[in-house]
Amino acid sequence: MSVRLFPKLDENQRLMLDAVVRLTEAGCPLTGVRDRADGSAPSDPGLRRTLADVGCYGLLSTEELGGGSVSGNGVVDAALIAAERGARLQPGPFVATSVVVHALTVAGANAHQADVLTSLIAGDAAASWTVVDAGSLSVRRHEQEWVLSGTVAAVQDADECEWLLMTLAQDGNQILIPLAADGAKLVPLERLDVTHRFFDVHLDDVTVPVANLLTPAGSSQDLVDRQFSIAAVLAAAEAVGAMDSDLRLAVEYAKTRIAFGRPIGSFQAVKHRLADTSLIVEMAKGIVAAAADAVGRGAADGDALASVAKAFVSERSIEAAHNCFQVFGGIGFTWEHDQHLFLRRLASDAYLFGSPNWHRDRLWKHADTESRRAHV
Amino acid sequence: MSEAEKLADYRARARAWLEANMEPLGPTAKSRFSFAEDDDFTPERLAEQQALQRKVYDAGYAGISWPAEYGGQGLPKAYERAFEQEAAHFVMPNLGIAGGTTMGVCGRTILAHGSPELLRTHIPRVLSGEELIVQLFSDPEAGSDLAGVRTQAVRDGDRWVLNGSKIWTSGAYYANYGMCLVRTNWDVPKHRGLTWFLVPLDAPGVTVQRIKQINGNAEFCTEFFDDVELTDADIIGELDNGWTVAQTMLMFERGGGGEAAAMSSPDPRDIAPDLRELAAAVGRLDDPQARRLITTAHVDDVVRHHLSRRLVGLMRSDSRQAGALASYGKLASGVYDPIRANLALEIADGGASTWQHGDSPGAHAATDLLNCRFMAIAGGTVEMQRNSIGERVLGLPREPSFDSERPFREVVRAAMNWSGKVG
Ligand SMILES: Cc1cc2nc3c(=O)[nH]c(=O)nc-3n(C[C@H](O)[C@H](O)[C@H](O)COP(=O)(O)OP(=O)(O)OC[C@H]3O[C@@H](n4cnc5c(N)ncnc54)[C@H](O)[C@@H]3O)c2cc1C
Repeated sequence: MSVRLFPKLDENQRLMLDAVVRLTEAGCPLTGVRDRADGSAPSDPGLRRTLADVGCYGLLSTEELGGGSVSGNGVVDAALIAAERGARLQPGPFVATSVVVHALTVAGANAHQADVLTSLIAGDAAASWTVVDAGSLSVRRHEQEWVLSGTVAAVQDADECEWLLMTLAQDGNQILIPLAADGAKLVPLERLDVTHRFFDVHLDDVTVPVANLLTPAGSSQDLVDRQFSIAAVLAAAEAVGAMDSDLRLAVEYAKTRIAFGRPIGSFQAVKHRLADTSLIVEMAKGIVAAAADAVGRGAADGDALASVAKAFVSERSIEAAHNCFQVFGGIGFTWEHDQHLFLRRLASDAYLFGSPNWHRDRLWKHADTESRRAHV
Repeated sequence: MSEAEKLADYRARARAWLEANMEPLGPTAKSRFSFAEDDDFTPERLAEQQALQRKVYDAGYAGISWPAEYGGQGLPKAYERAFEQEAAHFVMPNLGIAGGTTMGVCGRTILAHGSPELLRTHIPRVLSGEELIVQLFSDPEAGSDLAGVRTQAVRDGDRWVLNGSKIWTSGAYYANYGMCLVRTNWDVPKHRGLTWFLVPLDAPGVTVQRIKQINGNAEFCTEFFDDVELTDADIIGELDNGWTVAQTMLMFERGGGGEAAAMSSPDPRDIAPDLRELAAAVGRLDDPQARRLITTAHVDDVVRHHLSRRLVGLMRSDSRQAGALASYGKLASGVYDPIRANLALEIADGGASTWQHGDSPGAHAATDLLNCRFMAIAGGTVEMQRNSIGERVLGLPREPSFDSERPFREVVRAAMNWSGKVG
C-alpha cells in the first residue's frame, strides 16, 4: 500500500519507492517499531545501509558528491520516501540527516564533503540537526578551534547519530559537531513519541576545528531558511504518511466492528468523522506535494508553501489522530493497540522543525520581506 | 501544423479577437462570478449581457467543446481551456446564477441525455445566450432526498399534466426554462418513478415567486405548477428513468466536470488581502493575535487551492472516481467557508456588527458570514458529501434504507407514522 502523495509518479520514482516499501516492511515492520518503543535500542544500521543503497540519503546532494535525485527534484523524491516511512512509523533521523546532507553539499568544507557527507549518503553514519539560542550555549574561538559549552535540548535520535549540525539562531552560523567528541554526553529523555528517542546533548568544553563551520556561498540565514523549508516539507510528509495509515486502520476497523447489529462504519457519526478525516488527509497530501515540488525547484514561493504545509499538517494531523482514536473506542486506550503510536508521533512531530505558530509568523515575515523587495 | 502549434495558433487568434472586441478587465472590475453579488437581473441588464453573449457566440467562441451540430465548435477541451485562460483578462458576458446553471449543469446534462430534436431546438439557443435554464430540482418536501420529490406529472391522452411546486430555484425569475424533476409513477420504488421535463417558465399555470434571502437578496425563487400542460417532446431522457439522468446532473453540480473543481479555488498569491484590509480598518494590522488569525485563514486558502489541483490529478488518473472525488472539493468549501467567515469576525472584533458604509470591510465580513453556508447546503449538503466519501471512496457500509425497495406511495405514508421499529 502506498501513501500516494502524488497522483502520478515517473517510472524511476516508482521503482525507488517500491524498493523502499519492501525493505522497510521486511526490515522494520510496525511490530519492530513497537519492540523498540518498549526497549530503547537505536534503529537498525543494517537497514539504513540497504536504504542508502537505493539512494535514500543522497537525494538532496549531487551526483558529483555521490548522491543525486531520481526525478530531477530531490525534495520531491525525499518527500515520497518520508511519506512511506511515516506510514510505517519508521524510527531514525531521516529528516534531519537529509537536511544535513543538503547543508554539507552546498556549504561544507571539502574535507567534510569527502568524508562526513560520503558516509551519510552511504548510510554508514547519520546526523541530527538543531537550532539553538546563543543564551543556552557558549561558543568561543580558541586559535584554530571552537570551544562549545552548554546543553542542546531534546535532540531526536541523537544516539544513532555520529554528527550534530548545530545552527545558531542569531546569526545563522552552523557548526558540525562529532557526537563522539570528548566532553559530549547524551542524556536520554522521557518522551511522548516512543517511536523516536530524544536526548539532551551536554557539551562540556567540546573542541571542534574551525573548519567545521559551514561556509555557504550566499548568506548564512538564507541557507538556514532553506534548511527549515526542507525539514518542514519532509516532516510534514512523514506526518501525512502516518495519518494515512492511521485512517486506513480506523476505516478497516469501522468495516468489521459490529454494534447494534451493524458494522459501526454504517453509523453516520462514525462515517462522517472518517470522511472528515479523509478530507484532512487529502488536503495534507495536496499541500505537501505542492510544497515539495516548489522547494525542490527553488521556486520563489517555496519557503511560503513549506510553511503553509507544516502549519496545516501539524494542526490537522493531531485532529485526524483524535478522530481515529474515537472510532477505535476502548481498544485505542490500550498500549497493545497501535493507535497511540500514531497519536504520539503526530502530536510530537507537530512541534518539531517549527510549531504551527512559528510557521505562521514566518509566513508573515516572508510576505513583509517580499513586499519590501518589490518596493525597492 | 503539429497539435501544439494548432493550439497555439488558436490561442493567438482568440486573444486577437478578444482584444479587438471585448473590454479588458480593469483593476476594479469583478473577474469572477460570486454568489455574494447582490445585483438584480433587470430586463435591461439581461438584454445587455445576452447581446454580449451573442457576440461571443457569433464569433464561434461559445460552446467550444460542444458538438458542432448543435451550435458548438466541436473542438477538444484544450481549446476551450485556452480560450478561457485568455478570456480571464477581459470583461466577459455574465448571465449570473442562471447563466451558471445553464452552462454548468443543465445544458451539459441535457446534452448527455436529450433527444436529437430537443438538442436541436435548445442547445444553440443556450449557447447564444437566448435561453437560460434553471434547476427545478428541490421540492418543498425534498431536497437532500432528491429522489423523494412529490411534484408530479400525470398522463392525459397524449399530454402530461404537471402539478406541485419547486423551491430554492436560483435565478428562475429571469430564466426561460427549468429542468424539472417530476414523479411520474408512485407505485414503484422512489428511484424508478422519476422523469425529467424541460418546463417553459412562461407556460400557462406556472407561477414564479422570488424569495427574500438572509442577505437581503431575492435571487432564489419558488414555482407553483397548476395543471401545466407538457408533451412527450419535453422529456429529457427516458420516462421513469430520471434517476440515471440525475446521476449525470449531480456530477456536474458537484463540479465533477473535472477542471471546474480546480478553477473553483483560486491560487492565493498574497496573504488574505480582504482580511488584512479588515484588520487595517479596525486598527489591528500590527496586533500579533490578529496576524495569526489572518495567516490561519491564508494557510487554509492555500491548502484548498492545492487540494483542488490534487483532485484534478486524481480524476485524470481515474475518471470513474471523478464524481466521488468531487465531493472532497464540495466538502472542503462547506467546512472551510464558515471557518473563514468566523476568523473574519474574530479579526473584526466587533467591527462586523455595525458599520457606516455598505462598502466597508466590516460590512463585507458580515455579508460573508451570512453567505458562508452556501456550499455547505446548496447542491448537496456537507452531510451528503460525507456519506458519498464514506461509502464511495472509503468503502464504508451503507446505512439501512427504509425507502428504496417499497413503492413510493407507501414510503410516504409509513414515514408519517415513524416508530423506529423495523421488520
Ligand atoms: C442559496 C441556495 C440556492 C439553491 N439553489 C437551488 C437551485 O437552483 N435549484 C434547486 O433545485 N435547489 C436549490 N437549492 C436547494 C438545495 O439544493 C437544498 O437546499 C439542499 O439540497 C438541501 O435540501 P433541503 O433544503 O431540503 O434540506 P433537507 O434535505 O431537508 O436537509 C435538512 C438537514 O437534514 C440533513 N439531512 C437530510 N437527510 C440526511 C441524511 N440522510 N443523513 C444526514 N443528514 C441528513 C441535511 O444535511 C440538512 O442538514 C438551493 C439552496 C440554497 C441554500
